[in-house]
Amino acid sequence: MSTESAAVAPRPAAVPSPTAVFVRLKLSLLRNGLRQSTGRTLAYIASVIVGLLFAAGAVLGLIALRGNDHVGALVVLLTGILTLGWAVMPLFFPTGDETLDPTRLVMLPLRPRPLIVSLLVASLVGIGPVVTLALITGSVIAVAHGTAATVVGVLAVVLVVLVCVSLARAVATASVRLLTSRRGRDLAVLSGLFIAIGSQGVNIAAQKLGRPDGLSVLEPLGNVLRWVPPASAVSAVEDAGHGAYGRAAAGLALTALALVLLLWWWQRTLTALMTSPDSSTLQAVEKDSARRGGNGERGLARLLPDGRTGTVMLRTLRYAWRDPKSKMAWATALGVGLLVPVVSSVQGNGSIYTAFSASALLGMQMYNQFGQDTSAFWMVASTIATPRDAYQELRARALTLAMVAVPFVTLVVVGAAAFIGPWSDFLEVYGLSLAVLGALLATGALSSALFPYSIPSEGNKNVAPGQGAIAWFSLFGGLLIGSVLCAPLLALTIWLHVAGLHHLLWLLLPVGAVYGTGIAELGLRLAAPRVARRLPEILVAVSKG
Amino acid sequence: MANEPEQNEERAESAPPERASAASVDGPAAAPDGAAAGPPAVRIQGLWKKFGEQIAVNGIDLTLPAGRFIGLVGPNGAGKTTTLSMVTGLLRPDSGLVEIGGHDVWRDPVAVKSRIGVLPEGLRLFERLSGRELLGYIGRLRGLPGDEVDKRAGQLLDVLDLSGSQHKLVVDYSTGMRKKIGLAAALLHNPEILFLDEPFEGVDPVSAQTIRGVLERYTASGATVIFSSHVMELVESLCDWVAVMAAGRIRADGPIAQVRGAAPSLQDAFLELVGANDRGAGQSLDWLGGGGAR
Repeated sequence: MSTESAAVAPRPAAVPSPTAVFVRLKLSLLRNGLRQSTGRTLAYIASVIVGLLFAAGAVLGLIALRGNDHVGALVVLLTGILTLGWAVMPLFFPTGDETLDPTRLVMLPLRPRPLIVSLLVASLVGIGPVVTLALITGSVIAVAHGTAATVVGVLAVVLVVLVCVSLARAVATASVRLLTSRRGRDLAVLSGLFIAIGSQGVNIAAQKLGRPDGLSVLEPLGNVLRWVPPASAVSAVEDAGHGAYGRAAAGLALTALALVLLLWWWQRTLTALMTSPDSSTLQAVEKDSARRGGNGERGLARLLPDGRTGTVMLRTLRYAWRDPKSKMAWATALGVGLLVPVVSSVQGNGSIYTAFSASALLGMQMYNQFGQDTSAFWMVASTIATPRDAYQELRARALTLAMVAVPFVTLVVVGAAAFIGPWSDFLEVYGLSLAVLGALLATGALSSALFPYSIPSEGNKNVAPGQGAIAWFSLFGGLLIGSVLCAPLLALTIWLHVAGLHHLLWLLLPVGAVYGTGIAELGLRLAAPRVARRLPEILVAVSKG
Repeated sequence: MANEPEQNEERAESAPPERASAASVDGPAAAPDGAAAGPPAVRIQGLWKKFGEQIAVNGIDLTLPAGRFIGLVGPNGAGKTTTLSMVTGLLRPDSGLVEIGGHDVWRDPVAVKSRIGVLPEGLRLFERLSGRELLGYIGRLRGLPGDEVDKRAGQLLDVLDLSGSQHKLVVDYSTGMRKKIGLAAALLHNPEILFLDEPFEGVDPVSAQTIRGVLERYTASGATVIFSSHVMELVESLCDWVAVMAAGRIRADGPIAQVRGAAPSLQDAFLELVGANDRGAGQSLDWLGGGGAR
């Protein structure tokens, strides 16, 4: 019925502007997304409020800095960071905006140029662009002095926001093939890590800038960035205030040129994407990749022991590199283990004892060993017939961990002694660190046998729904028991200190190393028969993801 | 359930037709009669498994002879996967006894695990290894010498037509390639008995033919294959012994001719056994077809 009336209706009048359609689409998607659950609505409203408060705070801060000598460098840097954020955001949150996926529009008869304009306008709807607009406006207010600067400032705000948004869109379009592939999903799993480490970087930077005259460190970076679009538009405002109209015009022109180039690139990739066949309909022209059984890995394999031990170690090492979840876990443990002493040392309240974070975080990698295998654990289970097999399996995994953890802990403790000090505490902290590592390997092996849980392979979650309690219980219980296991050594340390036997503190290194090795071995021996007995139960527990 | 027969017809097209003639009662295995004298390949007594309120396997007694190509057939949800998981030691039964080659699966895992090869359904492989690395890994875990593993892996990859993708990660394999690499992993240690859960599910005709060829060669040497399927034509053309499962129970088992009885095909006998024969796409869809009228 409706088809008939559509055919009769005069065509040009019936066709609404695509821009309005896309803006409405964006608003509907937003509204419908919120309609799905109250939790989501609340989270969204909370993020809006936080975003706006953050923006307001930043704007007020920027306005307060007006007149500061280094504010020019600061706003240029801020623009640069914002732009970088816009560029990488679509890579980490590919599913964030459905209108970002141009493959959904393939079947619609749309010409590239109006499509680009419509998509660009639709992209301006959202919290991100509003916060960006606020921050850039604040930046411009902070550096604009005089009428000419104000005029340039208005232009700069518009240009910068447009560059940011079209940059995000262009990057998303160019990488949509990657993002919908397996490698793209692997990358998305790692996003949390970049954010975690990035936030520590911001933390350290904020500490430095917070010092008296801290802003001066920005000057060299600002000098480079002020010629890089879109930051060049913001520095043009300052130039216009100084009367350097040539420089101001050049800065604005650079940003405008960048915008044009971005739009051109975006249109080209969008057209290419929408007119070439989808990868799923093509027989992939797969070359057998250059992973030639890995000649390098064969070298590594030769270094590892024979039999089950070497085989399991090689597999675990390969997974640490190739499996996004394992890679994420390893990188987090190594990164955070290193960051805790570094950050606390930068903040000036460091202690050599912060080096324990390295052995604690790496030791916790031993937890839920079989959950890391996912349901592929059946391959392990079908080759374990005796407690001896289970022992070899667990020992190989512990050895792999120790192979990385012992040198890393050594490095961190040496670093902590060198940069935080004092060297006199080095041997005792090193010995205790090794003992902590051994205790966590032991409790980790036991909890792997007794409290296994599934790790979903997609997304950022590390526990399958319904198994959170098991995960927390085993991790915290294990940490607690691990520290209790180290109590004898702690008691020895305290006694040596209290009794004034400082010349005997070096004993803690050999005692700690031997104690750590012994307790790890004991843990593996206790865990092995339990693994061998509970194979089907472990398989069920780790197959839920 | 209602669309089950349609699915079967669809699958039948993918199964190469030329085997149908060879699928007589004596079958390709031509099991030496001596095999029947030894212990049965599998002996199950009173096997029982409940998931919550649902009884998945409802007290099974079953004896499967050695040296045969055995099909475990049944509709979706009949309990085939649960049974195979319990028989191969991957799932603990609530009660019951399972013996493989005369050895209790749960009391004597050493004797059992080295004698069987398993290709489960719905469980992953170590997918971040390449096909060759996966075979190298599982072979060495089974205690085979490294050189021997590499030699056998090379031959299996060749025969299964995976040599071209041997260095590609298993995560990037297609369904058919995964089934083939899983089969290679299950065969690597030359087991006496091979358990395959839905080995032809989602597999293209070319890969299916490759898998059939390997399995036929394997059983011809006197080994036992036990595989589950709901594609009757496939079972009829491959197997010489069949066990029919429905709703957690064994409805019939024995040589294929005996189970088929007077029915024209195994498909008819099966539908009769599971009580689904009278449920045709009868009168209720009389408006469907032709496309002429609305």
